[in-house]
Amino acid sequence: MFFHIVLERNMQLHPRHFGPHLRDKLVSKLIKDVEGTCSGRHGFVVAITGVEDIGKGLIREGTGYVTFPVKYQCVVFRPFKGEILEAVVTMVNKMGFFAEAGPVQIFVSNHLIPDDMEFQSGDVPNYTTSDGSVKIQKDSEVRLKIIGTRVDATEIFCIGTIKDDFLGVISDPGAAM
Amino acid sequence: MKGMNNNSAKIPHVTIDSDSDSDSEGFVEELPRVNFTSNGKAASGSLKTGGKTSSLSKGDAGKGGNTYISGKGGKGSASTAVSAKSDAELKLELDVPPNSRILMNCEVAELLQEIHEHMAILSEDPKIKIPESFDKAFQYAKEGNHFSTAQSVKQVLDPLKKYGVSDGEICLIANIGPETIEEVYALVPSLKATRSFNQGPIMEAITALTNIKVPK
Repeated sequence: MFFHIVLERNMQLHPRHFGPHLRDKLVSKLIKDVEGTCSGRHGFVVAITGVEDIGKGLIREGTGYVTFPVKYQCVVFRPFKGEILEAVVTMVNKMGFFAEAGPVQIFVSNHLIPDDMEFQSGDVPNYTTSDGSVKIQKDSEVRLKIIGTRVDATEIFCIGTIKDDFLGVISDPGAAM
Repeated sequence: MKGMNNNSAKIPHVTIDSDSDSDSEGFVEELPRVNFTSNGKAASGSLKTGGKTSSLSKGDAGKGGNTYISGKGGKGSASTAVSAKSDAELKLELDVPPNSRILMNCEVAELLQEIHEHMAILSEDPKIKIPESFDKAFQYAKEGNHFSTAQSVKQVLDPLKKYGVSDGEICLIANIGPETIEEVYALVPSLKATRSFNQGPIMEAITALTNIKVPK
Protein backbone atom coordinates (compact mmCIF):
# COMPACT_ATOMS: atom_id res chain seq x y z
CA MET A 1 0.00 0.00 0.00
CA PHE A 2 1.22 3.49 -0.75
CA PHE A 3 1.54 6.24 1.83
CA HIS A 4 2.31 9.91 1.63
CA ILE A 5 4.46 10.53 4.65
CA VAL A 6 6.63 13.20 6.27
CA LEU A 7 10.07 11.99 7.24
CA GLU A 8 13.11 13.64 8.72
CA ARG A 9 16.74 13.06 7.95
CA ASN A 10 20.03 14.60 8.96
CA MET A 11 21.95 15.54 5.85
CA GLN A 12 25.67 16.18 5.96
CA LEU A 13 27.11 18.65 3.50
CA HIS A 14 30.75 19.30 2.69
CA PRO A 15 31.79 22.97 2.91
CA ARG A 16 32.63 23.02 -0.81
CA HIS A 17 28.86 23.08 -1.48
CA PHE A 18 28.25 26.15 0.60
CA GLY A 19 27.14 29.16 -1.33
CA PRO A 20 24.02 30.66 -2.87
CA HIS A 21 22.78 27.25 -4.07
CA LEU A 22 23.20 25.47 -0.75
CA ARG A 23 19.52 24.57 -0.50
CA ASP A 24 19.45 23.10 -4.00
CA LYS A 25 22.53 21.05 -3.25
CA LEU A 26 20.93 19.75 -0.07
CA VAL A 27 17.76 18.76 -1.88
CA SER A 28 19.71 17.02 -4.67
CA LYS A 29 21.72 15.11 -2.11
CA LEU A 30 18.56 14.17 -0.25
CA ILE A 31 16.96 12.82 -3.42
CA LYS A 32 20.10 10.91 -4.33
CA ASP A 33 20.46 9.40 -0.86
CA VAL A 34 16.86 8.55 -0.17
CA GLU A 35 14.93 7.80 -3.35
CA GLY A 36 14.98 4.12 -4.17
CA THR A 37 15.98 3.02 -0.67
CA CYS A 38 14.01 0.74 1.58
CA SER A 39 13.65 0.81 5.30
CA GLY A 40 11.89 -1.84 7.31
CA ARG A 41 9.85 0.76 9.09
CA HIS A 42 8.48 2.81 6.22
CA GLY A 43 8.98 0.60 3.23
CA PHE A 44 10.34 1.60 -0.15
CA VAL A 45 10.80 5.31 -0.71
CA VAL A 46 9.40 5.72 -4.19
CA ALA A 47 9.66 9.46 -4.71
CA ILE A 48 10.24 12.64 -2.76
CA THR A 49 7.38 15.05 -3.37
CA GLY A 50 8.56 18.08 -1.44
CA VAL A 51 10.82 19.52 1.21
CA GLU A 52 8.95 20.94 4.19
CA ASP A 53 11.71 22.44 6.23
CA ILE A 54 15.47 22.66 6.41
CA GLY A 55 16.70 23.39 9.90
CA LYS A 56 19.80 25.27 11.00
CA GLY A 57 23.07 23.60 10.14
CA LEU A 58 25.36 22.34 12.85
CA ILE A 59 29.09 22.25 12.24
CA ARG A 60 30.59 18.91 13.17
CA GLU A 61 33.72 19.17 15.22
CA GLY A 62 36.90 18.08 13.58
CA THR A 63 35.52 17.57 10.08
CA GLY A 64 34.01 20.82 8.93
CA TYR A 65 30.94 19.03 7.58
CA VAL A 66 27.63 20.61 8.48
CA THR A 67 24.59 18.61 9.47
CA PHE A 68 21.19 19.93 8.42
CA PRO A 69 17.96 18.40 9.72
CA VAL A 70 15.68 18.12 6.69
CA LYS A 71 11.96 17.41 6.84
CA TYR A 72 10.57 16.10 3.58
CA GLN A 73 7.45 14.55 2.12
CA CYS A 74 7.62 11.38 0.12
CA VAL A 75 5.61 8.53 -1.31
CA VAL A 76 6.48 5.18 0.24
CA PHE A 77 5.31 1.69 -0.60
CA ARG A 78 4.96 -0.90 2.11
CA PRO A 79 3.10 -4.19 2.00
CA PHE A 80 0.98 -5.37 4.92
CA LYS A 81 -0.40 -8.67 6.05
CA GLY A 82 -3.91 -9.17 4.79
CA GLU A 83 -3.40 -6.84 1.86
CA ILE A 84 -4.58 -7.85 -1.59
CA LEU A 85 -2.16 -7.10 -4.40
CA GLU A 86 -2.01 -7.66 -8.13
CA ALA A 87 1.43 -8.93 -8.98
CA VAL A 88 3.30 -10.12 -12.05
CA VAL A 89 4.92 -13.56 -11.94
CA THR A 90 8.67 -13.42 -12.41
CA MET A 91 9.74 -16.99 -11.79
CA VAL A 92 8.05 -20.37 -11.43
CA ASN A 93 9.55 -23.47 -9.91
CA LYS A 94 8.36 -26.60 -8.16
CA MET A 95 8.42 -24.88 -4.76
CA GLY A 96 6.04 -22.18 -5.93
CA PHE A 97 6.39 -18.93 -7.77
CA PHE A 98 7.84 -15.47 -7.27
CA ALA A 99 5.91 -12.38 -8.21
CA GLU A 100 6.54 -8.68 -8.13
CA ALA A 101 4.18 -5.94 -7.07
CA GLY A 102 5.94 -2.65 -7.60
CA PRO A 103 9.30 -2.84 -5.85
CA VAL A 104 8.26 -5.72 -3.57
CA GLN A 105 8.93 -9.40 -4.17
CA ILE A 106 6.36 -11.93 -3.06
CA PHE A 107 6.74 -15.68 -2.87
CA VAL A 108 3.74 -17.99 -3.17
CA SER A 109 4.50 -21.47 -1.99
CA ASN A 110 3.05 -24.44 -3.85
CA HIS A 111 1.16 -25.22 -0.64
CA LEU A 112 -0.69 -21.97 -1.06
CA ILE A 113 -1.60 -22.64 -4.67
CA PRO A 114 -4.90 -24.46 -5.27
CA ASP A 115 -4.47 -28.21 -5.15
CA ASP A 116 -5.81 -28.78 -8.62
CA MET A 117 -2.94 -26.83 -10.11
CA GLU A 118 0.10 -28.95 -10.80
CA PHE A 119 3.63 -27.89 -11.57
CA GLN A 120 4.71 -28.54 -15.16
CA SER A 121 8.42 -28.34 -15.80
CA GLY A 122 9.88 -27.61 -19.20
CA ASP A 123 11.03 -24.64 -21.20
CA VAL A 124 8.32 -22.52 -19.62
CA PRO A 125 7.69 -23.87 -16.13
CA ASN A 126 4.14 -23.26 -15.02
CA TYR A 127 1.31 -24.33 -12.79
CA THR A 128 -1.70 -25.58 -14.72
CA THR A 129 -5.07 -26.96 -13.85
CA SER A 130 -5.89 -30.51 -14.87
CA ASP A 131 -8.08 -29.30 -17.71
CA GLY A 132 -5.45 -26.84 -18.88
CA SER A 133 -7.80 -23.89 -18.61
CA VAL A 134 -5.80 -21.90 -16.09
CA LYS A 135 -2.07 -21.45 -16.20
CA ILE A 136 0.41 -19.54 -14.07
CA GLN A 137 3.70 -18.83 -15.80
CA LYS A 138 6.22 -16.03 -16.12
CA ASP A 139 4.53 -12.69 -16.84
CA SER A 140 1.11 -13.91 -15.73
CA GLU A 141 -0.79 -11.40 -13.62
CA VAL A 142 -2.14 -12.79 -10.38
CA ARG A 143 -4.16 -11.40 -7.54
CA LEU A 144 -2.79 -12.61 -4.21
CA LYS A 145 -3.10 -11.92 -0.53
CA ILE A 146 -0.10 -11.17 1.64
CA ILE A 147 -0.02 -13.53 4.60
CA GLY A 148 3.39 -12.73 5.99
CA THR A 149 6.03 -10.08 5.71
CA ARG A 150 9.68 -10.27 6.60
CA VAL A 151 11.31 -6.99 7.30
CA ASP A 152 14.95 -6.22 7.76
CA ALA A 153 16.93 -3.02 7.64
CA THR A 154 16.88 -2.59 3.90
CA GLU A 155 14.46 -5.05 2.43
CA ILE A 156 10.91 -6.28 2.67
CA PHE A 157 10.00 -9.72 1.49
CA CYS A 158 6.53 -11.19 1.48
CA ILE A 159 4.74 -14.50 1.42
CA GLY A 160 1.42 -14.66 -0.36
CA THR A 161 -1.41 -17.00 -1.12
CA ILE A 162 -3.77 -17.51 -4.01
CA LYS A 163 -5.65 -20.27 -2.31
CA ASP A 164 -8.64 -18.20 -1.30
CA ASP A 165 -11.77 -16.94 -2.95
CA PHE A 166 -11.39 -14.27 -5.61
CA LEU A 167 -7.64 -14.81 -5.78
CA GLY A 168 -5.72 -16.26 -8.67
CA VAL A 169 -4.76 -15.56 -12.23
CA ILE A 170 -6.03 -12.33 -13.78
CA SER A 171 -4.39 -12.70 -17.13
CA ASP A 172 -1.61 -14.74 -18.60
CA PRO A 173 0.49 -14.09 -21.64
CA GLY A 174 -0.42 -17.26 -23.49
CA ALA A 175 -3.93 -17.71 -22.18
CA ALA A 176 -5.60 -20.96 -22.95
CA MET A 177 -9.22 -19.85 -23.03
CA MET B 1 -19.46 -15.78 -9.43
CA LYS B 2 -19.36 -16.36 -5.76
CA GLY B 3 -16.54 -17.41 -3.64
CA MET B 4 -17.41 -20.01 -1.08
CA ASN B 5 -15.76 -19.36 2.13
CA ASN B 6 -17.33 -21.57 4.70
CA ASN B 7 -14.85 -21.08 7.39
CA SER B 8 -16.68 -20.28 10.53
CA ALA B 9 -13.75 -20.68 12.92
CA LYS B 10 -13.17 -18.03 15.51
CA ILE B 11 -10.13 -16.12 14.57
CA PRO B 12 -7.40 -15.29 17.06
CA HIS B 13 -5.78 -12.08 16.04
CA VAL B 14 -2.12 -12.40 15.12
CA THR B 15 0.03 -9.33 15.16
CA ILE B 16 3.63 -8.67 14.47
CA ASP B 17 5.67 -5.83 15.77
CA SER B 18 6.06 -3.73 12.72
CA ASP B 19 7.78 -0.81 14.39
CA SER B 20 11.18 -2.29 14.45
CA ASP B 21 13.82 -2.32 11.79
CA SER B 22 15.38 -5.22 13.58
CA ASP B 23 16.97 -8.01 11.64
CA SER B 24 15.36 -10.48 13.93
CA GLU B 25 11.88 -9.88 12.59
CA GLY B 26 10.70 -12.88 10.79
CA PHE B 27 7.53 -14.28 9.37
CA VAL B 28 4.66 -14.94 11.64
CA GLU B 29 5.27 -18.65 11.99
CA GLU B 30 2.94 -19.08 14.90
CA LEU B 31 -0.24 -19.04 12.91
CA PRO B 32 -2.45 -21.88 14.00
CA ARG B 33 -3.50 -24.42 11.44
CA VAL B 34 -5.45 -23.12 8.63
CA ASN B 35 -8.69 -24.38 7.30
CA PHE B 36 -8.32 -24.29 3.59
CA THR B 37 -11.21 -24.09 1.32
CA SER B 38 -10.50 -24.61 -2.27
CA ASN B 39 -10.12 -21.48 -4.26
CA GLY B 40 -13.53 -20.47 -5.43
CA LYS B 41 -14.33 -19.16 -8.81
CA ALA B 42 -13.69 -15.49 -8.90
CA ALA B 43 -16.02 -12.73 -9.82
CA SER B 44 -17.44 -12.75 -13.30
CA GLY B 45 -14.74 -14.86 -14.81
CA SER B 46 -12.22 -12.05 -14.70
CA LEU B 47 -10.08 -14.10 -12.38
CA LYS B 48 -9.03 -17.53 -13.41
CA THR B 49 -8.42 -19.92 -10.60
CA GLY B 50 -7.86 -23.55 -10.00
CA GLY B 51 -11.52 -23.51 -9.31
CA LYS B 52 -12.67 -26.96 -8.38
CA THR B 53 -14.62 -25.99 -5.35
CA SER B 54 -15.31 -29.52 -4.34
CA SER B 55 -11.80 -30.81 -4.57
CA LEU B 56 -11.17 -30.18 -0.93
CA SER B 57 -13.72 -31.17 1.60
CA LYS B 58 -14.78 -28.52 4.01
CA GLY B 59 -13.20 -30.34 6.88
CA ASP B 60 -9.87 -30.52 5.18
CA ALA B 61 -7.29 -28.46 6.85
CA GLY B 62 -3.85 -27.83 5.53
CA LYS B 63 -1.13 -26.94 7.86
CA GLY B 64 -1.99 -23.48 7.03
CA GLY B 65 0.38 -20.71 7.72
CA ASN B 66 3.10 -23.10 8.68
CA THR B 67 3.32 -24.82 5.36
CA TYR B 68 5.61 -22.36 3.76
CA ILE B 69 7.94 -22.79 6.64
CA SER B 70 7.86 -26.53 7.09
CA GLY B 71 7.57 -27.23 3.43
CA LYS B 72 5.39 -30.15 4.13
CA GLY B 73 1.80 -31.01 4.48
CA GLY B 74 -1.08 -29.04 3.21
CA LYS B 75 -1.66 -30.83 -0.01
CA GLY B 76 -4.48 -33.20 0.52
CA SER B 77 -3.50 -33.81 4.10
CA ALA B 78 -6.60 -34.16 6.14
CA SER B 79 -6.05 -33.09 9.65
CA THR B 80 -8.41 -32.82 12.51
CA ALA B 81 -10.66 -29.85 12.42
CA VAL B 82 -9.20 -27.11 14.56
CA SER B 83 -10.35 -23.67 15.31
CA ALA B 84 -7.96 -21.75 13.14
CA LYS B 85 -7.46 -18.49 11.42
CA SER B 86 -7.62 -19.13 7.71
CA ASP B 87 -5.82 -16.98 5.26
CA ALA B 88 -9.22 -16.03 3.92
CA GLU B 89 -10.08 -14.42 7.23
CA LEU B 90 -6.71 -12.73 7.58
CA LYS B 91 -7.53 -9.13 8.15
CA LEU B 92 -5.54 -6.21 6.97
CA GLU B 93 -3.00 -5.45 9.68
CA LEU B 94 -2.36 -1.92 8.78
CA ASP B 95 0.07 0.07 10.81
CA VAL B 96 -0.37 3.60 9.60
CA PRO B 97 2.74 5.61 10.37
CA PRO B 98 2.21 8.96 12.09
CA ASN B 99 2.25 12.04 9.81
CA SER B 100 1.10 9.94 6.90
CA ARG B 101 -1.85 9.51 4.59
CA ILE B 102 -2.82 6.33 2.80
CA LEU B 103 -2.85 6.69 -0.97
CA MET B 104 -4.94 4.69 -3.41
CA ASN B 105 -3.25 3.37 -6.53
CA CYS B 106 -5.21 5.85 -8.65
CA GLU B 107 -3.91 8.77 -6.59
CA VAL B 108 -0.35 7.47 -6.75
CA ALA B 109 -0.58 7.01 -10.52
CA GLU B 110 -1.51 10.68 -10.96
CA LEU B 111 1.12 11.87 -8.50
CA LEU B 112 3.91 9.81 -10.02
CA GLN B 113 2.84 10.83 -13.53
CA GLU B 114 3.60 14.45 -12.67
CA ILE B 115 6.93 13.51 -11.13
CA HIS B 116 7.72 11.34 -14.14
CA GLU B 117 7.19 14.31 -16.45
CA HIS B 118 9.67 16.36 -14.44
CA MET B 119 12.07 13.46 -14.34
CA ALA B 120 11.95 13.11 -18.10
CA ILE B 121 13.51 16.55 -18.31
CA LEU B 122 16.01 15.86 -15.53
CA SER B 123 17.03 12.50 -16.95
CA GLU B 124 18.61 14.23 -19.93
CA ASP B 125 21.39 15.05 -17.48
CA PRO B 126 23.56 11.91 -17.43
CA LYS B 127 24.49 12.50 -13.80
CA ILE B 128 20.91 12.05 -12.67
CA LYS B 129 19.72 8.49 -12.42
CA ILE B 130 16.09 7.59 -11.94
CA PRO B 131 15.80 4.88 -9.29
CA GLU B 132 14.52 1.53 -10.42
CA SER B 133 11.98 1.40 -7.61
CA PHE B 134 10.36 4.58 -8.97
CA ASP B 135 9.79 2.99 -12.36
CA LYS B 136 8.49 -0.21 -10.81
CA ALA B 137 6.17 1.61 -8.45
CA PHE B 138 4.94 3.91 -11.23
CA GLN B 139 4.24 0.96 -13.51
CA TYR B 140 2.50 -0.89 -10.69
CA ALA B 141 0.31 2.11 -9.78
CA LYS B 142 -0.64 2.69 -13.44
CA GLU B 143 -1.54 -0.93 -14.04
CA GLY B 144 -3.32 -1.26 -10.72
CA ASN B 145 -5.45 1.76 -11.43
CA HIS B 146 -8.87 0.66 -12.66
CA PHE B 147 -10.51 4.07 -12.75
CA SER B 148 -10.60 7.25 -14.76
CA THR B 149 -9.67 9.76 -12.05
CA ALA B 150 -8.71 9.62 -8.39
CA GLN B 151 -11.13 12.41 -7.54
CA SER B 152 -14.11 10.43 -8.80
CA VAL B 153 -13.04 7.38 -6.77
CA LYS B 154 -12.71 9.50 -3.63
CA GLN B 155 -16.18 10.94 -4.17
CA VAL B 156 -17.64 7.46 -4.42
CA LEU B 157 -15.78 5.87 -1.52
CA ASP B 158 -15.39 8.66 1.03
CA PRO B 159 -19.06 8.42 2.14
CA LEU B 160 -18.33 4.88 3.37
CA LYS B 161 -16.41 6.37 6.28
CA LYS B 162 -19.74 7.24 7.88
CA TYR B 163 -20.53 3.52 7.96
CA GLY B 164 -17.42 2.51 9.86
CA VAL B 165 -15.21 1.68 6.88
CA SER B 166 -11.63 2.66 7.70
CA ASP B 167 -9.21 4.46 5.38
CA GLY B 168 -7.21 1.27 4.88
CA GLU B 169 -10.34 -0.67 3.92
CA ILE B 170 -11.44 2.07 1.52
CA CYS B 171 -8.01 2.02 -0.07
CA LEU B 172 -8.16 -1.75 -0.40
CA ILE B 173 -11.57 -1.56 -2.09
CA ALA B 174 -10.31 1.07 -4.52
CA ASN B 175 -7.21 -0.96 -5.34
CA ILE B 176 -9.15 -4.19 -5.85
CA GLY B 177 -11.87 -2.68 -8.04
CA PRO B 178 -14.48 -5.23 -6.97
CA GLU B 179 -17.41 -6.24 -9.11
CA THR B 180 -19.65 -7.83 -6.50
CA ILE B 181 -20.41 -7.36 -2.84
CA GLU B 182 -19.28 -10.92 -2.12
CA GLU B 183 -15.89 -10.10 -3.56
CA VAL B 184 -15.59 -7.18 -1.15
CA TYR B 185 -16.44 -9.25 1.91
CA ALA B 186 -14.19 -12.11 0.82
CA LEU B 187 -11.18 -9.91 0.24
CA VAL B 188 -11.77 -7.44 3.08
CA PRO B 189 -13.05 -9.76 5.81
CA SER B 190 -12.90 -7.06 8.47
CA LEU B 191 -16.01 -5.52 6.89
CA LYS B 192 -18.06 -8.61 7.65
CA ALA B 193 -18.36 -7.65 11.30
CA THR B 194 -20.59 -4.71 10.42
CA ARG B 195 -22.17 -6.18 7.31
CA SER B 196 -25.71 -5.38 8.31
CA PHE B 197 -24.70 -1.77 8.68
CA ASN B 198 -22.47 -1.27 5.67
CA GLN B 199 -23.82 -3.63 3.03
CA GLY B 200 -26.19 -1.16 1.39
CA PRO B 201 -23.67 1.69 1.08
CA ILE B 202 -20.96 -0.67 -0.17
CA MET B 203 -23.27 -2.02 -2.86
CA GLU B 204 -24.05 1.51 -3.98
CA ALA B 205 -20.35 2.29 -4.03
CA ILE B 206 -19.61 -0.77 -6.17
CA THR B 207 -22.28 0.26 -8.67
CA ALA B 208 -20.86 3.77 -8.80
CA LEU B 209 -17.32 2.45 -9.21
CA THR B 210 -18.43 0.31 -12.13
CA ASN B 211 -19.53 3.46 -13.91
CA ILE B 212 -16.13 5.09 -13.60
CA LYS B 213 -14.07 2.02 -14.38
CA VAL B 214 -11.78 2.21 -17.36
CA PRO B 215 -11.78 -0.95 -19.48
CA LYS B 216 -8.34 -2.50 -19.89
